Amino acid sequence: MNLAPDSGEAQIAEAAADFLLGSLGRARLHRVGTADLSAEQRGEVGGLGWFGLALPEQSGGSGLSAVEHALFFREAGRQCAPVDLLAQSLAANMPVGAALRESVLGGAVGVGLAVEDAGTLRVYGNPLAEFAIAVRPQGAALYRMAGVKAETRPSLVPSSTLRVIAGMPPVEAEAELPDLWVLGELATAAMLVGIAEAALELIAEYAKVRETFGRKIGAYQAVRHPCADMLVRIEAARAQLYFAATAIKEAHPSAQAHLDAAKHLANQAALANSDANIQLHGGIGVTEEHDAHLLHKQALLLSRLFGARRAVLANLLHQELAA
Amino acid sequence: MDLRYSDADIAFRASARNWLSSNVPSHRRPAHGPEAARFDRDWQRKLFEHGWAGVAWPKEYGGLGLSGLQQVIWYEELARARAPHHINTTYVALMHAGPTLIARGTDAQKAFHLPRILSGESLWCQGFSEPGAGSDLAALTTRGVIEGDEIVVNGAKMWTTDARYADYQELLIRTEPGSERHKGLTWVICDMSLPGIEVKPVRTMMMDAHVNMVFYENVRIPLANVVGEVGKGWSTALATLSFERGLGFIGDQLELAERVERAIELAGKVRTETGKYAIEDESIAQRLAALKADTMAIRAMTLAEIAESDRTGVPGPNGSVMKLMVTATHKALSELAGDLLGWEFLEFDGDRGAHPWTYDYLWSWVFSIAGGTNEIQREIIADRLLNLPKAR
Ligand SMILES: Cc1cc2nc3c(=O)[nH]c(=O)nc-3n(C[C@H](O)[C@H](O)[C@H](O)COP(=O)(O)OP(=O)(O)OC[C@H]3O[C@@H](n4cnc5c(N)ncnc54)[C@H](O)[C@@H]3O)c2cc1C
Repeated sequence: MNLAPDSGEAQIAEAAADFLLGSLGRARLHRVGTADLSAEQRGEVGGLGWFGLALPEQSGGSGLSAVEHALFFREAGRQCAPVDLLAQSLAANMPVGAALRESVLGGAVGVGLAVEDAGTLRVYGNPLAEFAIAVRPQGAALYRMAGVKAETRPSLVPSSTLRVIAGMPPVEAEAELPDLWVLGELATAAMLVGIAEAALELIAEYAKVRETFGRKIGAYQAVRHPCADMLVRIEAARAQLYFAATAIKEAHPSAQAHLDAAKHLANQAALANSDANIQLHGGIGVTEEHDAHLLHKQALLLSRLFGARRAVLANLLHQELAA
Repeated sequence: MDLRYSDADIAFRASARNWLSSNVPSHRRPAHGPEAARFDRDWQRKLFEHGWAGVAWPKEYGGLGLSGLQQVIWYEELARARAPHHINTTYVALMHAGPTLIARGTDAQKAFHLPRILSGESLWCQGFSEPGAGSDLAALTTRGVIEGDEIVVNGAKMWTTDARYADYQELLIRTEPGSERHKGLTWVICDMSLPGIEVKPVRTMMMDAHVNMVFYENVRIPLANVVGEVGKGWSTALATLSFERGLGFIGDQLELAERVERAIELAGKVRTETGKYAIEDESIAQRLAALKADTMAIRAMTLAEIAESDRTGVPGPNGSVMKLMVTATHKALSELAGDLLGWEFLEFDGDRGAHPWTYDYLWSWVFSIAGGTNEIQREIIADRLLNLPKAR
């Protein structure tokens, strides 16, 4: 029993952090035209093997596990990475032909994230992507998007473009694969933990420099105490995330329950921390040039994906926990 | 990371479960008074005699010398077996006086006290807080004057839990005249039967009187009872607080998971004003599920913290994070139980055994005040974990 990342896991997390900061750092979102994963960025991510962390080696992946997958996406969360990153990684785990899998893994073709909403599909991600993946708790479908008529809608979330499609596009592949939902729920929980952490980092730094009434705002308890509460939410959500990721890796009988708990705590931590971060920054916190809104908007999207509050809690209530 | 238990862990859980299944007292703990203290001592003696006392204490001091993880397993099994609650009159002795002596005591102090603590023979209390020194502990004024090989103590302590039943006390006093704040303090073992000590119970809103005021009039304590150095008591006190705030509530935090399951059971039996079972009410179901997630996280945090303290040997400031998480969960659970029980929640005579939910509801303030208030825990986090500019 050990619930702290070992040195190999920590190395992956560090490499992911360096790479994502350099190639997809949050600062990108203050320049125009930076939503989504461009074909070039996709190729870079794919070239380094980040799309196949949890995929077995014989399928072209890295042969690592849910743990590394979670550690990577936690870093992606901090950078408000586009959801294409997740869609692409999930698609790499679909049962498709070797050639297509290789194109997905390497980033030669793109995949958006499709969400079913009352008979329509909402697709997040690069509008030029060739595919979109829709994941349900028990299975997933990969759709061909070439030539499909889609209406672009204004997206609240700067990292990801939104389009809506009436009707269902042609299916490239379908699978009864609960594992895909598990990887998706885990990755979104991880990204939300990353957002919760980034929010605390921002306000803890600002509280050391911003002065009012002759004192640093970090000396006021009305600022200090909400920051302490942010850390409590992070520690709870992160500990449970690690527990869930490891439970999935070990095919623990209660893995799904642990994952639902992790998603719930991560939803809560990201929403509450990114909210407090805006408030405690004062006026600068509501400006476009600041990162605070990016974190909160990203949390609004991710907390709806792969289990919003009501759904995860309803699932969790009656699941038994094995030791 | 891995979640697997070793064969030794699995065997330990099985034997703990087996032993507890036939040894947990069948009668309820008396609600108050010396009978309650006797019940606690008897249970501790039984644990001791059957080799279950001091699970994580080093072997050389009579403990089992087991890992932090096995300590977690032990507390989980205690909760599962509904064994006597570990926050009772043996709590101070086992959870922080003993560990303080192990860390800072002399050989003679250890040899005398540790076996008595483990066997339940001695109960301890904590004499830190005073009427004018709670959160600001360093403002304490109870003074000790060194005369020959004795310290003569005069003053008053406040909030001393279980002082009436305790044999010994962790007593923190000012021994350097004119000293201020953290300097000039001394941590000394006070025998509660010494002449000049008067204990006055303070009744609480739980309808009991487990806290007390303790008055000292020319109480003569041997210098040999000083733990650490004369004048360096603050350092010893910080060690005590680190045990108290570190894993001191471990039993309670792991028991919360069990209590949430009981609340889920309860919600399947009681009805709301609409006539439906409470569990069918979505808002109640959601609150229960959220509490379940919180207790799962508390367990994961405990395991992570155990890994850390097994590695470094000392509990870190993460104890403050844990305390905030646990007290918030405790409170939310108690409030929910109140909603489930409706009118019945308002029947209460101070007996935790008979009215556990109401008792725990009232106790939620003790939890968020004693051992350093939640506001002080946030201050500790802001200073030590977030490195924010000092408020004071
Ligand atoms: C049931 C019970 C049992 C106890 N048992 C023991 C025991 O066995 N031994 C022992 O030594 N003590 C014991 N205590 C004492 C406990 O440690 C103190 O009550 C606690 O530290 C708070 O001190 P205080 O009561 O003087 O409150 P105060 O320090 O007067 O605080 C009053 C309020 O002000 C807030 N506050 C104070 N300072 C700050 C600050 N710097 N920033 C923000 N807010 C602040 C507090 O959080 C609190 O809300 C017990 C207390 C209770 C209630």
